[in-house]
Amino acid sequence: MKISPWQGGGRAIGIATAVAVAGLGLTALGAAFDPRRALWAYLVAFTDWVGIAVAALILLMSFHAANARWPVAVRRVLEVIPLSTALFLVLFLPVLLGARELFPWAGPQQLAGEAQRAMEHRKSWLNLPFFTVRAAFYFAVWIGFSHLFHRWSVEQDRSGAPGLSLKAHRLGAGGLPLLALTLTFAAFDWWMSLTPQFYSTIFGVYYFAGSFDAAIAVLIIAAAWGRREGIFGGALTTAHFHSLGKLLLAFTAFWAYIAFSQFLLIWIANIPEEVPWYQVRNRGAWLPVGVFLALFHFVVPFFVLLSRRIKREPEKLQWVAAWILVVHFVDVYWVVMPHLSPAAPHPHFTDLTALLGVGGAAVAFTLWRLRGRSAVPVGDPYLQESLRYDPR
Amino acid sequence: MSQGAPLRRTFVLAEFAGPEPLFAAARKVRAAGHTELDAHMPYPVHGADEALGLKRSPVPIIALVGGLAGVVSAYLMAWWMNAVDFRINVAGRPFDALPAFVPIMFELGVLFASLAIFVSAIFLFGLPRVHHPVFELDEFRSASVDKFWLSVRTTPDAVAPLREELERAGASYVGSVEGEP
Repeated sequence: MKISPWQGGGRAIGIATAVAVAGLGLTALGAAFDPRRALWAYLVAFTDWVGIAVAALILLMSFHAANARWPVAVRRVLEVIPLSTALFLVLFLPVLLGARELFPWAGPQQLAGEAQRAMEHRKSWLNLPFFTVRAAFYFAVWIGFSHLFHRWSVEQDRSGAPGLSLKAHRLGAGGLPLLALTLTFAAFDWWMSLTPQFYSTIFGVYYFAGSFDAAIAVLIIAAAWGRREGIFGGALTTAHFHSLGKLLLAFTAFWAYIAFSQFLLIWIANIPEEVPWYQVRNRGAWLPVGVFLALFHFVVPFFVLLSRRIKREPEKLQWVAAWILVVHFVDVYWVVMPHLSPAAPHPHFTDLTALLGVGGAAVAFTLWRLRGRSAVPVGDPYLQESLRYDPR
Repeated sequence: MSQGAPLRRTFVLAEFAGPEPLFAAARKVRAAGHTELDAHMPYPVHGADEALGLKRSPVPIIALVGGLAGVVSAYLMAWWMNAVDFRINVAGRPFDALPAFVPIMFELGVLFASLAIFVSAIFLFGLPRVHHPVFELDEFRSASVDKFWLSVRTTPDAVAPLREELERAGASYVGSVEGEP
């Protein structure tokens, strides 16, 4: 198969960069007036997008671990998305510098009675130096793994050596536990520790489930866009989109399963350490947000994605995927923001500018890394099988 | 117990060496106006449904309806037992406790959906049926060994031209059978 290196995308990179600069600039402007509010908006945006990048790495490694052949045609895109973790390392700095405004265990404020005692108890884990070391470790794992997979695949473009596939297979299978642990502890650090006395062992899986769903959505949007731009040279077929749509359906259901499992166990056990987390979200103006998530993050996309026709039409499927990204943002907002404003959501313009700013930066970075090489891993020994893929 | 022509069914059967000539013949026969085609092959072959002009299976819709019926009946059952018939106050939780019912609703949804698939598939396969006229042709046994068979349901007066057409399409053997439905 002959696919020349992709040289286009200048316009798309330009637009994404402009969105990034404008979004992050306006967020910085918002921070000048209300640093605390802007910082919280930034935490939502950051955890939303970095989760997607890491989940894309997990999807890539699962494909390698399973020796999956059908996704080879779309795999280069999936190899490039996790490279953005290097960018997220830089984008993590505001969270680190503003940790005192975000995490109650890092700030000088005193909590009431029992909560303060619980926080003291967790001081050996929840303290800024160790928090920083842990974050450095997560990023080291994510950046290291994503670069290895990308480098091997690019090397294979030139040499076609099948041994590189074997290496990726081994690292993919062997590295998945490390990815699961880093993402779980990142969820504990960046989301769960916002309420230091709350714990839920399923929380890491919850972060993973939403991010994974959104990562598949990003992949679908990228694949549909790339097909329109012609960057895959006709390698992607209806069958590939059908299968990506099936994955989106499966992980929309998986998110609902995890979200509901966590809620049901905490609701039915009704233990004082756990239940306040949901009490805040099941009261007042936060309740409609939760109901919205149940309906529009699960029920509606689930039934829409049951349709075979929609899954086989990239032009339609990409809009479902875009919707998943919207509700994923609402989900992240619903997890993070009640810590700042327990009574009701108080939308702020930085919520939007931070989301677009971080997202624009990630998209620009990813497109820039995709550029200059073939957008399909042309050296992969399984590529021919992927091109013929048509399971119906 | 012959009741005359309307109850009898006529099939023209053609044997092919491989799936491709069979599909080509099926397309020709369909172009000639025949609609009730079937293929009998030693193993499943990709593209047969398209070549035979089969409609999409109704099983997915049946499964969906079955699943939704399971979800609704599970909720009604749990609601009637917990909130109407035998109310027990469990640590102040509501009697009509939807979150606690959801696992049952999910399980019964899966159960009803799979039962709906199982039962409907049996009927869609044409079961229960103890005998089919095609088995009256001895040569047809090769369909479960190494040959590919096309069967076309037709009327007795259309048998002769159809046989001719299938022979021209490359069939190594053409036969016809008649039988009770």
